[in-house]
Amino acid sequence: MGHVDRARAFVADADRTQWHDQALWFVRTKRDRAADRVPDWEALRQQAAAIKRNALGRLPELWTEFESNAVAAGAVVHWARDAREHNEIIAGLLHERGIERLVKSKSMLTEECGLNPFLEAQAIEVIDTDLGERIVQLRHEPPSHIVMPAIHLRRGEIGELFAKEMGSPPGLEDPAELTAVARRNLRKHFLSAEAGLTGVNFAIAETGSFVVVTNEGNADLGTALPNLHIASVGLEKILPRQGDLAPFLRLLARSATGQAITTYTSHFRGPRPASEGHSPTQANPALHIVIVDNGRSQLLAQPDFREALACIRCGACLNTCPVYRRSGGHSYEATIPGPIGSVLEPSRDPTRHAELPHACTLCGSCTEICPVQIPLHHQLLAWRGRLAEGGQHSRRRRWALYLVGTLFMWPPAYRFLGWSARAIARVFPSRLLEAALAPWTRGRALPAIPKRSFRTLYRDRHRQAAREADNGGREG
Amino acid sequence: MSDARETILARLASARPPTAPAPAAMAPPPNVLDPIETLREHLTEAGGSFQIAARGDWPNQIEWPEALSTMEHVYSTLADPETRGVGRTAVFDHELARLDLCVIRGEFAVVENGAVWHVPESARERSAALLAQHLVVVVEESQLVPTLHQAYDRIDLAKTTFGWFLCGPSKTADIEQSLVLGAHGPCTMSLVLTRDGPALSGTAR
Amino acid sequence: MRIALFVPCYVDQLKPEVGLAALDVLEALGFEVVYPEAQTCCGQPFITAGERDRGRALGEHFVNVFEDFDEIVALSGSCAASIRRQLPLLAPNDRTKRVAARTREFCEFLVDHGVASKSLGHFSDRVGLHPSCHALRDLGLGTPSESRAPARIDPARMLLSQVAGLELVDLTRRDECCGFGGLFAIEEEAVSCRMGLDRLADHRGAGARVIASTDISCLLHLEGLAKKNGFDFRTMHVAEILAASLASDAEHGFAATGDGLADGPR
Repeated sequence: MGHVDRARAFVADADRTQWHDQALWFVRTKRDRAADRVPDWEALRQQAAAIKRNALGRLPELWTEFESNAVAAGAVVHWARDAREHNEIIAGLLHERGIERLVKSKSMLTEECGLNPFLEAQAIEVIDTDLGERIVQLRHEPPSHIVMPAIHLRRGEIGELFAKEMGSPPGLEDPAELTAVARRNLRKHFLSAEAGLTGVNFAIAETGSFVVVTNEGNADLGTALPNLHIASVGLEKILPRQGDLAPFLRLLARSATGQAITTYTSHFRGPRPASEGHSPTQANPALHIVIVDNGRSQLLAQPDFREALACIRCGACLNTCPVYRRSGGHSYEATIPGPIGSVLEPSRDPTRHAELPHACTLCGSCTEICPVQIPLHHQLLAWRGRLAEGGQHSRRRRWALYLVGTLFMWPPAYRFLGWSARAIARVFPSRLLEAALAPWTRGRALPAIPKRSFRTLYRDRHRQAAREADNGGREG
Repeated sequence: MSDARETILARLASARPPTAPAPAAMAPPPNVLDPIETLREHLTEAGGSFQIAARGDWPNQIEWPEALSTMEHVYSTLADPETRGVGRTAVFDHELARLDLCVIRGEFAVVENGAVWHVPESARERSAALLAQHLVVVVEESQLVPTLHQAYDRIDLAKTTFGWFLCGPSKTADIEQSLVLGAHGPCTMSLVLTRDGPALSGTAR
Repeated sequence: MRIALFVPCYVDQLKPEVGLAALDVLEALGFEVVYPEAQTCCGQPFITAGERDRGRALGEHFVNVFEDFDEIVALSGSCAASIRRQLPLLAPNDRTKRVAARTREFCEFLVDHGVASKSLGHFSDRVGLHPSCHALRDLGLGTPSESRAPARIDPARMLLSQVAGLELVDLTRRDECCGFGGLFAIEEEAVSCRMGLDRLADHRGAGARVIASTDISCLLHLEGLAKKNGFDFRTMHVAEILAASLASDAEHGFAATGDGLADGPR
């Protein structure tokens, strides 16, 4: 089952599709209102894109600068070539301290690396603390959106889940009451946790600092109380200077949810001092940063796609994508769905994700909305060419297109194809025709099939005009 | 893991795209006409409240989320109100989960988004600000900056182990996009802007 | 100045009356237009399907057919966008770049030649304008709703504003994609139809009785959905509306030819 089939199943529930589409379009309009209030919006996009372009050309230097500054501040820096190394480093840090439970704030990187199942297989419990993430975790399903993980669920479904997993009264549906249940439940974990893991929104080379943003405060609760803070960061997240944070933070929340800024924008540099924190555990506070490649350097090497590394994971492209809104994140079967996912994922696994660049009409809304000006729909088109030539498209499709394309180059063949198709369509019994053209006719009526092509009509008109001119001449 | 480090750095070097120059710092946008009103709008949108009061007397002049005298457990880095209850007696930070109120001083506020820059004096202060039911942040009116551009000109991250922008109470819209205040952190957040002004007499609090 | 008309393959085969309408409009406005008969397909469906080689080959054929003309009027925003933006990438040679640069979408061509400063007859109806995504975002013919850059002219809208009695309705989502998207229409047929139905509901809610566009591909899809799902709309290419509006004024003595609207080469 690929996107086509999953999307079809999603769309079959018209009510849910409409609800999902309108919920996400609402977020898109909130972004629009927020952008309206920023007079230099387009200048910001340009600035952010230029900062990233420059940074992507200097990644080795920026990361060594970051590492040196972070280490000077007392952090321990690890490097992971791939998902497995990332997961092993984290498991190792927890095992060596005898820690069996980890609270985790939202990190698409850890989702990509499959950290949760890896740790759980090693008898380490992982508590996702972002409310949306916690909901999908308890349902044993992946997030369907990179910013709003549970956007595909209705309150009744969440109420049922909490009744089962958190002991709340069955039938509870009010979002405020459900959130209060989760607050009580997750607070217990925050207060007893010995280790917290966060993602990283931005890493700053010149100071060795990094920034984590949330509305819930879960990243902060998960790192203020435990003595061990692990931060996972992808290679693409580095910015050269602290001043670079201004354009990015002005763009991020507005693009993601239409807020001017998130509730918490936390800047970390090194572990908190050993004398502070007063945690029940005996260990001194420690900060471990794991820098992860997992295919990013490979993407960097590709001129067609490297700009996708500018992504700040705002999710605006998902919210604006008319296909994503009507197929839902799970249809993509990828860590990151939507337009940016359809660019990133085929790089990871071209065979598995060959369909994704085609889950798209190339409308270009994603490109226009991207705060860092990633040319998303151009990259999706480039993927189609790359995948076709790389043998990832069905041979039948390629041959059919090759044949028609070749015939179309020769005017008589093109005209004959057109004429015969129309002739057959006009003669065929309509029920048979509809069956033969089912992918069109399942949902749409066929147009009236004209007897004559434009070219024929044009020639007729000119023959007529010439005849009239002749007659006029003869009579005159 | 120095093998991994060397491999990654080598990969990055070999994949290096053509250099693109770092852009010049962009000029910040023109200042808004009414910064106070803009701040108020942003705080309100963020689910917080915004109040202006006289510097020397603000605890008597503001509206508290609950009557101050009824809030038994308080952690405050200002002289008034005083730290009391579990704010004073806690041995471990997680005990601060019983805090009713945390009062902190912000260094400056950012007009374009309503955020306050705060550098906790201690880990305890940070924990208190996260665990208390109610958070009050006091900022001097003279300490307003127009946008994040000016904010990062003021901040020195190289000297900051931990600092954060705070805007509004903790919140989530993860359930059907319905906004709920008080997700994991404080349920209310008040920004109190202080300025020169007279004290009020004998206001009950 | 030699002007050529490019009629997309699906217009040629399925909606030839649109080609005639475009010819009528161009001639009524004083343009002398040739239809080079050796034209076939610009290659767009192959390019968007990922078949770059066939796209390039058809692009070459297009260049061969049209290179002797000073201006090429394309009766499709998405074909015009493909010719201007994709062909020079697939075949980065001077001939291709020259022909690509001379290709304009039909409304774009008219507005560039000052047609929008004239009144363009009568057509009394409520019209929903459906923008072609490629014309809008790849050619910049209009301001996309996502953008906060200075506003850009939408030539189709400008022309229709010059038609007396024509009321352009306001949609709730003014530039959401209709869902056609080339092969997407049949390969992701379920989502494609859902997208189109939502567009139709928007137009109906806005009170449109006619859905107009610069792209027959979008309109074939919307028309097919409308017929199958009980929506009562006419779908018309902008050229068809202008042909009707100009003809209405010809009946009333409007001199549609010899107005000097056709400028010299630009």
